[in-house]
Amino acid sequence: MDNEILEHGFTWNRRRFLSAMSLGIGSMALGSLLMPELFSSGGADEEAIKAGLPHFAPKAKRIIYLFQNGAPAQQELFDYKPKLREMTGTEIPSSVRGTQRLTGMTSGQSSLPLVGSFVDFKQYGNSRAWISDLMPYTAKVVDDICIVRSMHTEAINHDPALTFIQTGSQQGNRPSMGSWLSYGLGNENKNLPNFTVLLSRGIGNGQGVYSKLWSNGFLDSIHQGVQFSKGEDPVLYLRDPAGMDRKARREMLDNLSELNEISYKEMGDPEIHAKIRQYEMAYRMQTAVPQVMDLSKEPDHIVKMYGPDCLVPGTFAANCLLARKLSENGVRFVQLYHQGWDQHGNLPYEIAKQAKDVDQASAALVMDLKQRGLLDETLVIWGGEFGRTSYTQGKLTKDNYGRDHHPRCFTIWMAGGGIKPGIVYGETDEFGYNIVKDPVHVHDFQATILNQMGLDHEKLIFKHLGRRYRLTDVSGKVIRDIIT
Amino acid sequence: MKIRFSILGAQLLLVLDIFIVFLLLFEGKLHIPAWLQSIGRVHPLLLHFPIVILIMAMLLEFFRFRKDIASNAFYKKLTYYLLLSGTLLAGITVFMGLILSHEEGYAGDTLQWHKWTGVAIFFIASIIYFVRNSSWYRSAFAKAGAVVTVLVIVVSGHFGAAITHGDNFISQPLAVYYPEPQVPFEQAVVFNDVIKPVLVKKCAGCHNPDKLKGELILTDSASIMKGGKSGKLFNHEAPELSLLLQRIHLPENEKKHMPPAGRPQLTDIEAMLLTRWIQSNKIYFSGKVAELPERDSLRMVAATVLQPPGNVAEVYDFDAADEKAVAKLNTDYRTILPLAKESPALAVNLYNGDVYSVKQLQELDGIKKQVVSLDLNKLPVSDADLKSISQFENLRHLYLNFTDITTTGLKELLPLQHLQSLAVSGTKINYKDLIAVLPGFKNLKTIAVWNTPLSGAEIKQLQTANKHIQFIEGFVDDGSDKLKLNPPHVENASMVFAQSSPVLLSHPVKGVEIRYTLDGTEPDNIKSPVFSSAVTVKENTVVKAKAYKTGWFASDVVNFSFLKSTIKPDSLRLLYKLNSVHQAEGANTFFDTRLGVIGANNPAWANNWAGVKHSDMGLVALFNKPVTVSSLGLHYMVEEETGILPPGTVQVWGGADEQHLKLLTTFNKAPLPAKKEKPTIRIMQSSWKPVTVSCLKIIATPHEKDKKLLLVDEMMLN
Repeated sequence: MDNEILEHGFTWNRRRFLSAMSLGIGSMALGSLLMPELFSSGGADEEAIKAGLPHFAPKAKRIIYLFQNGAPAQQELFDYKPKLREMTGTEIPSSVRGTQRLTGMTSGQSSLPLVGSFVDFKQYGNSRAWISDLMPYTAKVVDDICIVRSMHTEAINHDPALTFIQTGSQQGNRPSMGSWLSYGLGNENKNLPNFTVLLSRGIGNGQGVYSKLWSNGFLDSIHQGVQFSKGEDPVLYLRDPAGMDRKARREMLDNLSELNEISYKEMGDPEIHAKIRQYEMAYRMQTAVPQVMDLSKEPDHIVKMYGPDCLVPGTFAANCLLARKLSENGVRFVQLYHQGWDQHGNLPYEIAKQAKDVDQASAALVMDLKQRGLLDETLVIWGGEFGRTSYTQGKLTKDNYGRDHHPRCFTIWMAGGGIKPGIVYGETDEFGYNIVKDPVHVHDFQATILNQMGLDHEKLIFKHLGRRYRLTDVSGKVIRDIIT
Repeated sequence: MKIRFSILGAQLLLVLDIFIVFLLLFEGKLHIPAWLQSIGRVHPLLLHFPIVILIMAMLLEFFRFRKDIASNAFYKKLTYYLLLSGTLLAGITVFMGLILSHEEGYAGDTLQWHKWTGVAIFFIASIIYFVRNSSWYRSAFAKAGAVVTVLVIVVSGHFGAAITHGDNFISQPLAVYYPEPQVPFEQAVVFNDVIKPVLVKKCAGCHNPDKLKGELILTDSASIMKGGKSGKLFNHEAPELSLLLQRIHLPENEKKHMPPAGRPQLTDIEAMLLTRWIQSNKIYFSGKVAELPERDSLRMVAATVLQPPGNVAEVYDFDAADEKAVAKLNTDYRTILPLAKESPALAVNLYNGDVYSVKQLQELDGIKKQVVSLDLNKLPVSDADLKSISQFENLRHLYLNFTDITTTGLKELLPLQHLQSLAVSGTKINYKDLIAVLPGFKNLKTIAVWNTPLSGAEIKQLQTANKHIQFIEGFVDDGSDKLKLNPPHVENASMVFAQSSPVLLSHPVKGVEIRYTLDGTEPDNIKSPVFSSAVTVKENTVVKAKAYKTGWFASDVVNFSFLKSTIKPDSLRLLYKLNSVHQAEGANTFFDTRLGVIGANNPAWANNWAGVKHSDMGLVALFNKPVTVSSLGLHYMVEEETGILPPGTVQVWGGADEQHLKLLTTFNKAPLPAKKEKPTIRIMQSSWKPVTVSCLKIIATPHEKDKKLLLVDEMMLN
């Protein structure tokens, strides 16, 4: 049998060879017409792999994202609705609610009475923006921030909404925004991770945060977020065990890397190189992290700016101060999560506490960056995953009510990094329920952030399982109106 | 038949020749009826036939006198008939073309060239036809004639195509790959960069000097102002009624809608641009977009199509540095990055004060032209080092926050004439020197001077003297914003102790005075002792503490319960199940020395609270060796609003083993909280005559079974 096959091979004559070949070339030509990139040796992918530099000169080099996890009620903080207050107790008009899907928590409620803010608002700064009395320190920096009141999202529950705003998809498994930026821009300081995460929580009803929110997804694992914890070891397992000095550690790493190099040659798995680089960075982090995380040398005026809690590890204020220090040291993306904003009930009490937790330190961070001349190149973002309803959840009493999840509108603010300071963008209706002007979808928000970092959201792509992925999935446009 | 056709053809050709000469002479007086117009419009269809046939005929004519084919009868006939039919078709095409050219919208140089070259083809071909059998017509004539005819066909064809398809029809797709550089927002002129591109793309195909449909030209400002057959485009009294707007806003199936149905339509943005432009009623031809008012709608729409200002990279006039050299200079503590892909400019950041030396700057000699941003924050940079910085002649941004420089050193930076921003916060710069050196920085836009010896008044003076520079100040603690201190912390790993425990209080803010009491009274800053490290407790004690510091409000009082629990059971077992969400550490919860905090309904706080609601809390404690016990304490939580209440009854049983237990004590009822009382953590305790046991059974019931919750985190056994 084998011989017959071999013989058959030899019986090919020139004519047959040529005719067969022409058929082959013909089908390849046809194929190339149908799949234009058949012979381009994957130019687009190569472009993607060579990421690590901005596509154009960036306005911002670093981002600090003060994530308010649980969804702060816009009606009590930034979106002033006097009419809503007047109408407190009346049923929400069906023309306003429309066909809006409700969560299971209020869909069974027989009545959906509107409720206005329990707290007063005043106008501040040159921008005359309305800020609630719960945010006295934010009110002081109102001319440095851009308030976007017309954010909207697609998800109605915390986890999908959080995942959506962080990764551009509700389902998860995609890289987080910080990972995309790390992938797109590379390290500024090689001794610290590009993407760090700091957690804190307030007294309010909380919702969990999970490490999937700072996952690298399908990107190289070097881009995953590194969580700094509040204990004695901000980065776990970074400290050398007793008896091991720097020199011994160095030798061990050198030898380990030789071994890894051998297995890379055998297997060719790029994750092996990622591992080597992570070990190297961890080695340098051993000296760099303690320097950055040391709050004991912060002078009194800094403590007064951020509030005394900034010296208590694990608080939002301390995380803000750390965020400034990390950012100042070249960490591209510092992600904070402050939990406890999920006020389904007992809203007046809880939101006042939550606001107190974050107000002073958030404003201090903006001011602190500014006074160091760093605000121009650092983008600060403050906001949650969606908004809250203008009708009450549960019983509406004189001094107590709750608000359910509301994806149709919510408020965030941004500062620095080439975002126009002192403006208010977008508008909601008198009920604070629907957007009436300049809506900003989560993908638009992400596109704008990438743009500020010098990245074209349509070009920052990664091919995975045969598909090209972007942070903004298949939509999103840069909101030019809020860019300087 | 054949001869007849050739004679007929020759005669027809002669007639056509004369007819066309006649037409050309009296062109100005022509009146074209509608039916003839239709014939004229066949021109673009028919013209392809004479082109192809004549080229074939000319090819044959070119080789006509070659020896080997000169006598071939078929070749002769083929050449003859091709030439005749080609020339005849050319004549008819010219006739149609002349009629078509009289329709509106055809004018201009291109048309004239096309017309006369077309006519030339016809006449040259006719002449060749009539003279080709003359005795003097030899090979040279035939070849020259053929070449000239083909050339003229090519030229005429080109002009014709230019009229129909536009000037660069063929090269246009290529242009996509080499996009013209976009005009940055700041430099864009309203008409040239925003409006004209729309007109050129969507309108000028028919309204150009060569095609003039409706006698309208939309390629230059003068012609636009002039308008067309239907009148002026703009209506200054009522701009929204302007003709141009009417036409673009008519429904698409309307005959007068522009661009005509079937042609590429205006996009929404393009239509909006034209609308806003005309509505502004100022028909800007020269103004810049950036000069329009900030909230002007035309400006805002234009901004979306122009290259956004944020993305306009400064254009640098120096070349990029060698990539390999840059890679070599990159170290762990010195990052050198291009500003963007394909940007020659570099940003340099130095980190880690421990490894800094001025050599790190001097080594950058090879890329000194390319460095536009230098970040030296928090490094021990001295005045002397600044000389090395002055080599970076193109530097735009320099960060020297918290370095060791003084103003004396800033003089060294004067060669940096491109410097735009300078950050010297936290340095020792002073007014006297700064006022002298600042005017030297002609391009400086911002300087950060927070946390320097400069006073507010001095900064004001500097600002007055240097109007072009923005001075960035920052937070100054003037005592106006008096803050409340946060409460003291306890550092003890556990507040449950066996014999005695030190009280380790601390406060994160430096210079704070902690005052405390051990007797349950409120601490104050007069009578209560100041905390030092020498406080020890030997019994259950509530330590109340409060923090004080001048310039701050005193903190809230904070309570720390120190619990004495001398005896620890060797094994523990639950008699009934705990509430599913309050499992904590199971039976071990009660003697693990870990205390819970308030807020137990929240998952993160639940870890140390064991709870029951539907059953009793029942615990069996066993001891390997008999122990003498005399009291038991319960550490429990009360949160009235959520229904967490003190226990109903608590009983302690003791004995040698589980089968021989005697009731040792029944606790007194704990007081119930008032309605809406704030959540608290409390202790209840009961003692009995000392007794030696090897087994204890503790039963605590919820205040109201199935309704109220009982939460206990620790028990104290003494």
